[in-house]
Amino acid sequence: MTTTLARPESASRTPAPRVRTRHRQGTACAVLMAPFFVLLVVVFLVPAGTALWLSFFGADEPGLGFGPEHTIFVGFRSYAAVLADPTFLGGLGVVALYCLLYLPLLVVTSLGLALLLDSGVARLRGSARLALFLPHAVPGIIAAIIWLYLYLPGLSPVVDLFGKAGITVDFLGIHTVIPSMVNIALWSNLGYNVVVFYAALQAVPREVIEAAVVDGAGGVRTALRIKTPLIRASIVMVVLFTLIWSLQLFTEPMLLSQATPMITARFSPSMYIYDAAFTRNNYGLAAAASVILLMCTIALSYGVTRWTNRTREAAQ
Amino acid sequence: MPVRPSRRTVLAAGLAWPLATACSGPGGDAPRGATRITFWSALRGSQQVVDAFNRSQNRIQVVFRQIPSGDQGGYAKLSNAVRAGNAPDVATIEYPQVPGFAIDGVARDITDLVGDRLRAKLLPQALRLTTFAGRVFTVPLDVEPMVLHYRTDLFARHGSGPPRTWDEFTAVARKVRDDRSRLVAFATDGATQFAAVSWQAGAQWFDTAGGAWNVSLADAATRRVAGYWQGLIDEGLVFANGVQGRQGDAQIGQGLVLARLSGAWDAGAQMKARPGQKGKWAIAPLPQWDPAQPAVGTHGGSTFAVTRDSAHPEAAMEFIEWQVSHPDALRARLSSGTSSQYPAAPDLVEVGRKAFDRRYYGGQDIYRLFETEALKIRDGWTWGPRMSATQRVLQDGFARASAGQGTLLDAVRDAQRATMPDLLALGLATTERSS
Repeated sequence: MTTTLARPESASRTPAPRVRTRHRQGTACAVLMAPFFVLLVVVFLVPAGTALWLSFFGADEPGLGFGPEHTIFVGFRSYAAVLADPTFLGGLGVVALYCLLYLPLLVVTSLGLALLLDSGVARLRGSARLALFLPHAVPGIIAAIIWLYLYLPGLSPVVDLFGKAGITVDFLGIHTVIPSMVNIALWSNLGYNVVVFYAALQAVPREVIEAAVVDGAGGVRTALRIKTPLIRASIVMVVLFTLIWSLQLFTEPMLLSQATPMITARFSPSMYIYDAAFTRNNYGLAAAASVILLMCTIALSYGVTRWTNRTREAAQ
Repeated sequence: MPVRPSRRTVLAAGLAWPLATACSGPGGDAPRGATRITFWSALRGSQQVVDAFNRSQNRIQVVFRQIPSGDQGGYAKLSNAVRAGNAPDVATIEYPQVPGFAIDGVARDITDLVGDRLRAKLLPQALRLTTFAGRVFTVPLDVEPMVLHYRTDLFARHGSGPPRTWDEFTAVARKVRDDRSRLVAFATDGATQFAAVSWQAGAQWFDTAGGAWNVSLADAATRRVAGYWQGLIDEGLVFANGVQGRQGDAQIGQGLVLARLSGAWDAGAQMKARPGQKGKWAIAPLPQWDPAQPAVGTHGGSTFAVTRDSAHPEAAMEFIEWQVSHPDALRARLSSGTSSQYPAAPDLVEVGRKAFDRRYYGGQDIYRLFETEALKIRDGWTWGPRMSATQRVLQDGFARASAGQGTLLDAVRDAQRATMPDLLALGLATTERSS
């Protein structure tokens, strides 16, 4: 962007333009990128650094803890505590289960819908897209409230209806809370991902599709064997973003926990961190858990990227 | 994705709320030259007590602010205020949370401010609950022995009297059970109730011997209590559900539950909540394991702390002493409505007895009963350094057990396992027993 702006000026006037242009480009670069770096520092690096510091230092009192406090370096003590905490490990398990249910369901459903929209089988494409996308405009917390209303026995018309048919359903029971949350997330995010996939499908060259049709491939075959591999990059992106988002699972369980004892205060790692900091006043523990969650996220994202790169190379 | 901003909004709102309420300055005008102190409490009737104190003298002017109860955000508010440097001079802390706030430096060490006169006025068992390693951190207001609240009319219909032992309790539970109602509900959201019955049986979840926190939630006495209640649940003799929500309310309101195990204070709460059941309730001592050696635990009760940064600790202490030991303080508190608080200062019991309206309990002298029960409080119980968290994990386990996953004893063991990392991260010396 900067080069196109600077070029006509430098060509028309100054005899020794090179240095000045480069200087101007540098300034423009700095000005344009400054907001990004300021935000990066303020909302990411500083908090992350603080968390790191908190996780390695503690205000300690010896023995029973009633004496005066001294801030000292505590090494990996907070990390050891987090990793020894069955409730934190349980939270990781919950998130793993949630991802296992949610990821394939989201990717397969939204890809399927996008392919349907793209194939022309579906009528009213515009309205279908709008209808699918609309829930995404509802903020997550509102979505959780809406669904909470639909899940709560005594309030919910759905539970009521099932009850009249003689079927007792408990959407917030011990085995159903995770599927119930997956359902909320699916409802919120399906449309967004359909649009991502649909946009990618629009970019698939028409000649390729025509060639496939000429070769005798049917609609389903074209969709699965031609179109899907061609939008692979979008699929990887959606998987990656959804994974990162799922690891930070917080809003839905936090809200549903008001209504069911099956969602504990330390249900997911993010809730564990919140609980450790704000109800247990254990900032070292919360910081260490945050750093561990960040590490897990980075490792998983890296793993997914590496794995998809390798399989792509193998495919080629 | 829209979820992220909304998540931040929620957090921001949650963080801003205590700030917003804490920043608005105190009102009221103090007489010239008076020391001005602030006081936060969630206890009902506190405003009346403060007014009475301000009228009684003109050296100290107390400014009162009603805050939400501890678990509803009151404790978070207090911790945040101390961190932010705008804490009140005097705060209200329930017994289980005293060690936690003492360790965090929220409650000041007031050993030197508690004079012999005040010590002599308080029930020693109560003061020992707020004393750690020989240092006093808060002053008890009330001490609440656990008692059995029961429906006389429904008991009479089944030809039962109040059970004196836990064996009799089981027998009564079998007798009164029908297709709709049960003797009691085991409170899956009532870790403090479970603590009280374990305490009675001789449990010692925490102790501070040898300069370390010795944690032993699943000791022999607790295992016995957990096994006993598990038996009742498995046999279908009691409900197992949360008692603080609508369900628990309905069970009492519709007479589906015939009795309740809770502190003495609950009599007043019952009167206020269900005036229609007047004359149908009575209170009996808690059933015993061994009637020859009666013991009880406590359920509920509050204490007052002087906060770390208070500029006027002496004035704060004077106000606290007046609150917990002056007859006018108790009269003012009781004047606010129905309360059956059992004061930690035995001299005030007579005041409470006179002020209490006995008609709801069919003329029963419940304060006389509380008085005998308070003397049975088993000495030596200690609450833990992160009791709210321990209780919550315990309740999570109880809820799972009531849904058929695991047992009450599993819940107790899980609570211990989830408590240890907290203590470790706080840098406390710990030992574990009987896990």
